[in-house]
Amino acid sequence: MPVIEVSKLGKDFSAGRARVRALADVSFSVEEGQFVTLVGPSGCGKSTLLQILAGLIAATSGEARIEGERICAPMPDKIGMVFQDPTLLPWKTALANVEFPLDLRGIDRTARRKRCAALLELVGLSEFADHYPHELSGGMRQRVAIARGLAQDPRLILMDEPFAALDEQTRTRMGHDLLDIWAKTGKTVFFITHSLTEAIYLSDVVLVMSPRPGQVIDTIAIDFPRPREVDIIGSEAFGRIRNRIWHLIAEAPA
Amino acid sequence: MQWRIIKAFAIAAAAMALWEAVVRLDLVSQIILAAPSHIVLAAAQDGGVFLHAFATTSIEIGAAIVIAWTLGIVLGVVAGSSHTLAAATAPVLSSIFAIPLIILYPLLMAWLGIGPLSKVVFGVLSGFFPIALNTIDGVRAIERRYLVFARSIGATKFQTYARIIFPLALPAMISGLRVGTGLVVIGVVVTEMLASLGGIGYLISYHRTLFNTGHVYFGIMLALVMSVAVNIGLTWLDRRIGLWRMREQAEG
Amino acid sequence: MGAAVAGYLTFAVVLLGGWELTARLALVDATLLPPLSEVCVILWRFLHDPRFIADLGLTGGEVAVAFLIAAPLAISTGFLLGERLHLAETFNPVVHFILAVPQSIFLPVFILAFGIGFLEKVLFGITHAYFVILVNSFAAVRSIPRPLVAAARVFGATRAQIYTRIYLPAMLPLILTGLRLGMIFCIIGVLLAEMYASRRGIGRLIFTWGEGYQIPQLLAGIVLVSVLTIAVNEAMRLGELHVGRFYARASAA
Repeated sequence: MPVIEVSKLGKDFSAGRARVRALADVSFSVEEGQFVTLVGPSGCGKSTLLQILAGLIAATSGEARIEGERICAPMPDKIGMVFQDPTLLPWKTALANVEFPLDLRGIDRTARRKRCAALLELVGLSEFADHYPHELSGGMRQRVAIARGLAQDPRLILMDEPFAALDEQTRTRMGHDLLDIWAKTGKTVFFITHSLTEAIYLSDVVLVMSPRPGQVIDTIAIDFPRPREVDIIGSEAFGRIRNRIWHLIAEAPA
Repeated sequence: MQWRIIKAFAIAAAAMALWEAVVRLDLVSQIILAAPSHIVLAAAQDGGVFLHAFATTSIEIGAAIVIAWTLGIVLGVVAGSSHTLAAATAPVLSSIFAIPLIILYPLLMAWLGIGPLSKVVFGVLSGFFPIALNTIDGVRAIERRYLVFARSIGATKFQTYARIIFPLALPAMISGLRVGTGLVVIGVVVTEMLASLGGIGYLISYHRTLFNTGHVYFGIMLALVMSVAVNIGLTWLDRRIGLWRMREQAEG
Repeated sequence: MGAAVAGYLTFAVVLLGGWELTARLALVDATLLPPLSEVCVILWRFLHDPRFIADLGLTGGEVAVAFLIAAPLAISTGFLLGERLHLAETFNPVVHFILAVPQSIFLPVFILAFGIGFLEKVLFGITHAYFVILVNSFAAVRSIPRPLVAAARVFGATRAQIYTRIYLPAMLPLILTGLRLGMIFCIIGVLLAEMYASRRGIGRLIFTWGEGYQIPQLLAGIVLVSVLTIAVNEAMRLGELHVGRFYARASAA
């Protein structure tokens, strides 16, 4: 069974008197362990779709399911989320931030400390466990957020343009490290971005979305072997795929 | 370092001596300004009575602080949670705050008598408004992303309020807590001065009518000690919370 | 803004309506809480009573005199300290200490020194207003962005122009806020002094009514003072708003 199954998902917003159609008839599925990215122009409804998958907002039509179960509310034990802004709690250390979701669940302190320390090591921040967010760089904070997203051991990780606020160098490095983490944990990742390069580099499958109202106009399988090095971004094959996606988006009817 | 301490002490001693001289030499009337020796004398004569009054006032202030903080913070958090509620409540609170609350004391006197209860109630009234107003501001200022985050990890409403909203609002609250607590202290002491059965304010008034200026000043000193102690406590709190503020600003 | 109006209306209805209902339904002893209507009648009579008006005028006069003396003094001191920072360094701790101290405590000393007449009330009011206005004026001067002044000098502005076109608009908001707070503190100080020990004045009347359990009169006095002080506060706040807007436009020009 696919981990995620989205069928005929639609979302309308009422803005004043007008009704805005953000998503129209979106359907796709994600298999277990896949790294799937949704890419599309700004305002195409990517974030809206992600919020529906996260259970934060409800769809107007159609449905989304995780492991067969309908998503109508946040399911923190099944779905972890990483936002564009790390949104760490400023008064807690890195480790305490990672522990926070487990703390709320009432998980015993020793158990959660162990698990979260291991997660921090996974994202390469063991030495910074006792540091506060303001002492960490943007990239490091996002790593803590990723570790926190993994804390409840969810099946699915949703990532909403997590590297958009970082500079290019850091962004590329984070992408590379994310693939590492993904390989080690075997989670299913659903990633959204408007960077075509990032999408192709990271994913097994790229879903291309049209401008508003958002629809999936194509599903592109990315066949580069793993583990992937950053160099492939410069390859001809990469460029071809990128151009293809670019044209798909540019020529999509608005 | 030692030299600085010695210097400070020397200056203080000199100031004391000058003060004593000014009164003894009748440069300022004894009735208006009490010499340090008079104050010490007053302390020696009636130290016990004053200490008892100090305790009474402290208890009143303590009770009023606890209640004012609780009411102010709870109302502030509730009103601040909704944009409309905050927009409706804050202006009203702000306008009422402009009223000289002291004129309500005679009403409290008539309703509750001149014992500790009316002082505590007045103290709560005095401190409530700045605390509530600042808490509303603090809660409104919390960015939406924290609330979205709270929902995404499945936090209950209570957990969201207690573990996320409250700490995030704390730096903004603290200035309200400072002002409000200061007003509680003043409120209690002043109403004791106006009409009371006991307490520091009462003693200050009582001795004024007898022109025992030494006692009056001793009482004022004790009231100042109380005010300074509360202030130190608040500064400590402010500093601890200030660390959060710094971190929050850096987090961005 | 609609929410604010709704808030005021709700509050007024709940407070005043609740008051009237509670009294009418005799939920509380009538001597403790006479109905609002009765209080209003009494207030109306008071407003036609020359003696009452005289007391009201006396209090108002004390407040006005105290404020009119304190405000210019405090603003000029604030400017002086703001311009000459070395002076500020010495005086700032003193000022902040005084502000931290509950000034009202010194009322008995004022009485010992100056008696219980007009002078003592005015002086007490001055001390309350002075420090608040001072702190705000000082902050106002310090708030002027230095680059603004430098830029003006480069463009050859005269001293007078710098003061009117740059300093004034930048400082006005804080100064006006200080004045409003100073007025509130002044009123509190004067009323407190009257309530504590005085022969005449609204504060004295209110306290006497309270002591004598003359609740209807007491409530009338409270209502009147509340309405007046809220009116003064809102008027000054509106002034702050309009002057602020006017000068924002002027300084942008």
